[in-house]
Amino acid sequence: MANLHDIRRRIKSVKNTAQITRAMQLVAASKMKRAQDAALASLPYAELLARILAPISKGVVNFSHPFLEAGRSNKRCIILLSTDRGLCGALNANLFRVLPDRAQEVKYITVGRKAAQFISRTQRILVADFILPDAFKISEARKVIDFAIQAFEDGSIGSVDVLYPRFVNTLRQVPELVPLLPLAGISKVLESLGVEKETQDDRELNFEPSAEVILTNLLPLYVRRQFYAMVRTAKASEHSARMVAMKTATDNANNLADSLTLDYNKARQAAITQEILEIAAATAANEN
Amino acid sequence: MTLKLEIVTPEEKVYSEDVDTVVLPTTTGEIGILPGHIPLITEIKEGELGVIRMGQLDLLAVDQGFAEIFGDTVSVITEAAIDIEDIDLDSAEAAQRRAEEALRKAKEENLHPDEVEALEAKIRFALVQQLAKKKGK
Repeated sequence: MANLHDIRRRIKSVKNTAQITRAMQLVAASKMKRAQDAALASLPYAELLARILAPISKGVVNFSHPFLEAGRSNKRCIILLSTDRGLCGALNANLFRVLPDRAQEVKYITVGRKAAQFISRTQRILVADFILPDAFKISEARKVIDFAIQAFEDGSIGSVDVLYPRFVNTLRQVPELVPLLPLAGISKVLESLGVEKETQDDRELNFEPSAEVILTNLLPLYVRRQFYAMVRTAKASEHSARMVAMKTATDNANNLADSLTLDYNKARQAAITQEILEIAAATAANEN
Repeated sequence: MTLKLEIVTPEEKVYSEDVDTVVLPTTTGEIGILPGHIPLITEIKEGELGVIRMGQLDLLAVDQGFAEIFGDTVSVITEAAIDIEDIDLDSAEAAQRRAEEALRKAKEENLHPDEVEALEAKIRFALVQQLAKKKGK
């Protein structure tokens, strides 16, 4: 039978852990709410941008822009959106599992410390790493995406994909690899957003003042905004995953504390019974 | 026949209703959109967007953006939009002053150009709000 004192000490430590994970769960829950709202609110904007560009990507217009053509180099670049901190369940692990294997020559730009650690640990090529604080502003997202655009334009990389945990609901986040540049992959983005053109209009599409002007302004905006929307979704996923992970941890700790309390009571009961037995035996021996 | 007008900003879907006519402030001048308009993608500059609904004219202040007209749906995508009924002149002026102050500081401290750009957009939108409101009175 375990020592009473030891069990008591374990119960105390498990309960302390439960308290901490519970606090973390509550913090994550409130952040999750905000992050989810923000991610959902920015969805119509990203959808509409993609919808406006959809006919253009199908080659309706005779117009060339570096973003629309396959890059000069055949090197792939993946922007990996992870988290800065751990304790968010299998979120990052699931993400890293989708990465192409090490034999392939892929350059990585990471957002979030966890991804930077993983990429350098597995000796993949890390070209830039950024951190992902909770208040990640669009200006910060632009630094990341402008870095990628720059590399794409000067030809050191030929395509840019983004790997991020897409938010499905609080319990489900799916790793998703979305091609961002060149924009030929836009129809896949549309699919992933679930956008279909509901009204069909087969008349010729017009541009005012001209397709060139519209596209030169619209394409960079689209790439930046799309990327920012993904960052926001990744944030919502992170907080959801953390909330769920912390809730599980709290539940487990409470279960453990319960079963330890049971053990403790049993041990206490056994000790008392033992004592009574000893006293009774001693008295019986004296009477004889 | 009606048109469906959607105005979407990065933060929210500001407007989504069936209307009769839309007047868009494009970079090449104001254009009026009626049902049956040819498919068109155009660039919008900051200014007032007019909506005629059952003979009633409503004005909205919008920032720079793009508009897509496709099969009787007018989709406007812009950085910011507000109904001029909801514009509070004092707060728009205050916002402008705050943004100008921040911009001045940012230029002194050599802040990242993106931040500067964001502040300039704020000032631009605050100005548009004031102009639209004063005109609407």
